[in-house]
Amino acid sequence: MTKLWVLLVATTACLAPLAATAQSMTPMRGEVRSFTDAFAVKVFPGNPYDKRIRVEVHVYDQDFRPVEARISPSVFLLAGQASRPVLVVVPFDGASDRKVRICTESIPFPGEQTQIRAQICGKFFGHRKF
Amino acid sequence: MKFVRAAIGAALLVGCAGQTASAATGNVLFNGTITATCTLTVNSNGTMTVSSNLQSLSSHNAGGSAGSVQVDTTGGVQLSVDPVTTTTVPAADVTATTWTPTFATTGAQTISETGTATALTVPGTSTAAINLAGTKSGTNRFSAGNYQATVTVRCE
Repeated sequence: MTKLWVLLVATTACLAPLAATAQSMTPMRGEVRSFTDAFAVKVFPGNPYDKRIRVEVHVYDQDFRPVEARISPSVFLLAGQASRPVLVVVPFDGASDRKVRICTESIPFPGEQTQIRAQICGKFFGHRKF
Repeated sequence: MKFVRAAIGAALLVGCAGQTASAATGNVLFNGTITATCTLTVNSNGTMTVSSNLQSLSSHNAGGSAGSVQVDTTGGVQLSVDPVTTTTVPAADVTATTWTPTFATTGAQTISETGTATALTVPGTSTAAINLAGTKSGTNRFSAGNYQATVTVRCE
């Protein structure tokens, strides 16, 4: 189990330098090679507003069906103009490659008649190496 | 003898004067990669009003207003709206409503009003107007009460 985490962190570290802060979600593209039965991606949701918002992170497949992934944290409050890392671990589920969308969602002004949910989705491609 | 020494010294000085100091030059390369980025900032939500025949509840109707979203991007992304699935209607409204979300952009890139996913190829800031229209067909009418719908604007 420890080896698995070491490998996951290692694969995440390969992607991390691509990330930057102060965006709604970075990176928005990524390709990860993993030696385990899952691959990990670290994304950075950002809050462009001056007020605190509630942010949710979800993982979908190519057809926008939810994917059972481990997201840490999946729901959180993000301070204005802030950004924070979110670790997403996606299982291959027996496949050798997997394409997923990781989406950051928020409704900055809830409770109104026609409210807008802003969703930023990144496309990520995991390759399993044996 | 003194004259010979002076002549040799002068000749050496003259010989050295023509020599330039040797220096090496090299180029330092800088590389930078910008990946696709997109920031959505909701400026305001929209407002829907009902038409005189009570069959349209829309932000396009008189008194209604579109929602506004600022889009900042490097290009290489796609903007879309999802079909509306989350609505709240008054208890008296038991008939079906067809909800149609659309968007149009101005600014860095102009997109005419559409409900179809559209590529944002021009880097910069655009403003998207988000509209929502609910329609009822046949003899069905909108009822008195509060309606609420959520439009998902996606940048990917």
